[in-house]
Amino acid sequence: MAMLTTLVCFARVVCLCRAHYVTRLLLSWCMNCRPDVQIQITMTNMFLYLDKRDTMNQRSERRGIHVDQSELLCKKGCGYYGNAAWQGLCSKCWREEYQRARQRQIQEDWALAEKLQREEEAAYVSSHSSSQTQPPQSHSQQSLATFSKFEEKKTNEKTRKVTTVKKFFSPSSRTAPKKVPPEKESEKQEKEEKLQGRRESHGENLLRDLKGIFTQPWEMASPTEESHEGKAPSPSITRQSSIETDRVSRDFVEFLKTLQKPGREVHKQSRGFIESMGNKKDLSAEELSECVQDFYQGMSDRLLNHFKGSSEKVDRVMDQVEKYIMTRLYKSVFCPETSDDEKKDLATQRRIRALHWVTIQMLCVPVDEEIPEVSDSVVKAITDIIEMDSKRVPRDKLACITSCSKHIFNTIRVTKNEPASADDFLPTLIYIVLKANPPRLQSNIQYITRFCNPSRLMTGEDGYYFTNLCCAVAFIEKLDAQSLNLSPEEFERYMSGQASPRRQDDPAAWPQSGSRVNPALSQIHHNLKLLSNLEKRQQQVTEGAQNLETELAEWQDSVAREVQEILERYPLEIKPRASAIDAENVENDRLPPPLQPQVFAG
Amino acid sequence: MAAAGGKTYSFKVVLLGEGCVGKTSLVLRYCENKFNDKHITTLQASFLTKKLNITGKRVNLAIWDTAGQERFHALGPIYYRDSNGAILVYDVTDEDSFQKVKNWVKELRKMLGNEICLCIVGNKIDLEKDRHVSVEEAEGYAESVGAKHYHTSAKLNKGIEELFLDLCKQPRRFLTLSHTVMRALYNTTSKRHDGDGSGRGEVKGERRESHKHSPERRTDCRR
Repeated sequence: MAMLTTLVCFARVVCLCRAHYVTRLLLSWCMNCRPDVQIQITMTNMFLYLDKRDTMNQRSERRGIHVDQSELLCKKGCGYYGNAAWQGLCSKCWREEYQRARQRQIQEDWALAEKLQREEEAAYVSSHSSSQTQPPQSHSQQSLATFSKFEEKKTNEKTRKVTTVKKFFSPSSRTAPKKVPPEKESEKQEKEEKLQGRRESHGENLLRDLKGIFTQPWEMASPTEESHEGKAPSPSITRQSSIETDRVSRDFVEFLKTLQKPGREVHKQSRGFIESMGNKKDLSAEELSECVQDFYQGMSDRLLNHFKGSSEKVDRVMDQVEKYIMTRLYKSVFCPETSDDEKKDLATQRRIRALHWVTIQMLCVPVDEEIPEVSDSVVKAITDIIEMDSKRVPRDKLACITSCSKHIFNTIRVTKNEPASADDFLPTLIYIVLKANPPRLQSNIQYITRFCNPSRLMTGEDGYYFTNLCCAVAFIEKLDAQSLNLSPEEFERYMSGQASPRRQDDPAAWPQSGSRVNPALSQIHHNLKLLSNLEKRQQQVTEGAQNLETELAEWQDSVAREVQEILERYPLEIKPRASAIDAENVENDRLPPPLQPQVFAG
Repeated sequence: MAAAGGKTYSFKVVLLGEGCVGKTSLVLRYCENKFNDKHITTLQASFLTKKLNITGKRVNLAIWDTAGQERFHALGPIYYRDSNGAILVYDVTDEDSFQKVKNWVKELRKMLGNEICLCIVGNKIDLEKDRHVSVEEAEGYAESVGAKHYHTSAKLNKGIEELFLDLCKQPRRFLTLSHTVMRALYNTTSKRHDGDGSGRGEVKGERRESHKHSPERRTDCRR
């Protein structure tokens, strides 16, 4: 974090100085080397923009332009529009920038080469007196010959390219400047030839050879090429890969330093080999493989016989050689266009996808995924086998397979509580491959078979696991009804997707098989069950409601009927009432006459 | 094989045999000296190595277990390519497993020529009373196909040490054998490069051979 803060401060300072490209370089370096701090870098970027905006606002002459608009301009402030793909620079500035970076890299490489040269010279002086001197002169000349041939081919190609470009653009006045590159190239070639003619000293040879190594063969002389034709490859990709290859190269040189003299020999040979491979792009995959294998064989023979190394030591050196060579050659020899690897990849992928319905029970896999540790290891195994595709060196790919196998062994041991035999291992591996459907499986297998050091592939533990993977793939390819203990009709139906093995089980067995297969499936099943319950209950409720409704209606009717009946039984009769109160007093006559008031004389 | 030039010899031995005949017990007994033990330290028993010292030569023995189920039978060639020897195990109480061994022998002879070193092993001799494969029949058969025959019991630890020691005692013969075998294989399977007589030719031929299996299989599964 502290480092980041310093970075931010540094970015601010540099930005204030308006030397934007330095900041840009710094940032791009961060992006490449520390992808994990990308977010922080974005923040740094933000600071940068803020700072920039401040300075812009201070400068009144730019006020008219909207800030967003200014972002579109080239970061170097040349007035042209920049491009995000060129890290915000315009094409011209970017080219300069890129070339500068390359130049610096080349210089670094030269420095390294010089260091090596000094060592070489020291060794040469010390070994000069002894009679045991290998003929380095002849060898380096031979490699030089191939180098110049390669250079020549490159130049020819370029001339051709340029003339085509010329044809595309109308033969106007622009043709004159366009002619410059081939001339320059031929000049360069002449210079090369002159140099070669001069027969430089041994050390100089090495220097140039090293330069050859550190710029990839197919990128040789790329700075000029780019500056003349503007054919810069997408910087982010090439940079990423070149950083990786450079790191490997540096590791390789470091490693060889410990070997001293044989190390230099190995280095020279490897470099020469990579150069010669640059010329052989048109060969078929098998021929390429043969070249590499011949090289491995020659190298290990030489190490064993010439330098009298022990076999363990030779193996160690060979591992490094393989790493170095295959990292460099990976792009051109992995799944080459001349082979049908890609078609096979797709076929296998489709095949595995079509077999998605295969269950643990069918393959008799001794794995119980309900145990958490087991399902954990299964996931790890799947991750490892998928990761294989991302490695470049055959040995690293093998390591992925081995690690995957180890996880498989773990699952078996946890489930069965005994060491796994091949009888258990192979079916489980097949199951894992079916579940993982690893990308470019065939290409990777072919790549390993073609370019791995055979001593490792044939006998070691890695070789055993690799063989098992080959077996698994072969089994999947020819898998039929019999191998899953199914009838051909069943197999056909599953393959065509008309039926699924899980459906045909009776509903009671459903939940178990579902939960074993997939937690999501079991969840779905659970939900389905809940839903059907709900539906049933809802039906009951509706039925109840309907019953209630009819009951209510009936009740209403019955009440009405009862009322009617009662009314009918006891009809309401209203007798007319007497009009006067005394009208009914029939017996009034019989009443004694009303008392009369009597006067008493008193 | 590349290591053959140095001081250490590497030998690859494949274990073939039906499931449940005791292949795994056999190797575990040999490498760990344990039988049906809960404390077996190895994570797995499908690939085991043993370092031996035979008459002053260091030998690295790699034992490759193979899946014995019937449905994996066709994968055999992928396993036993480039191997220096094959151990064919059967269960003396199981007649079928002995028939299986006969099939394996036929196939190995067909694929790897007549000179591959085969060891036929009758396992589980502790169950003598249930024996279904007679000693005479087994030994007679082994002799007729030029294989060595051993009686072993992983449970009682009988005959196992002897089996593996015998197997390693002829390293030179194995080595030259495997080269010849590979050469033969190479000549029969890849006609394109028959001019190549270098030491690596065998390995290459072998590799090519392995590629050639896949297309055949693919046509198989279409049927």
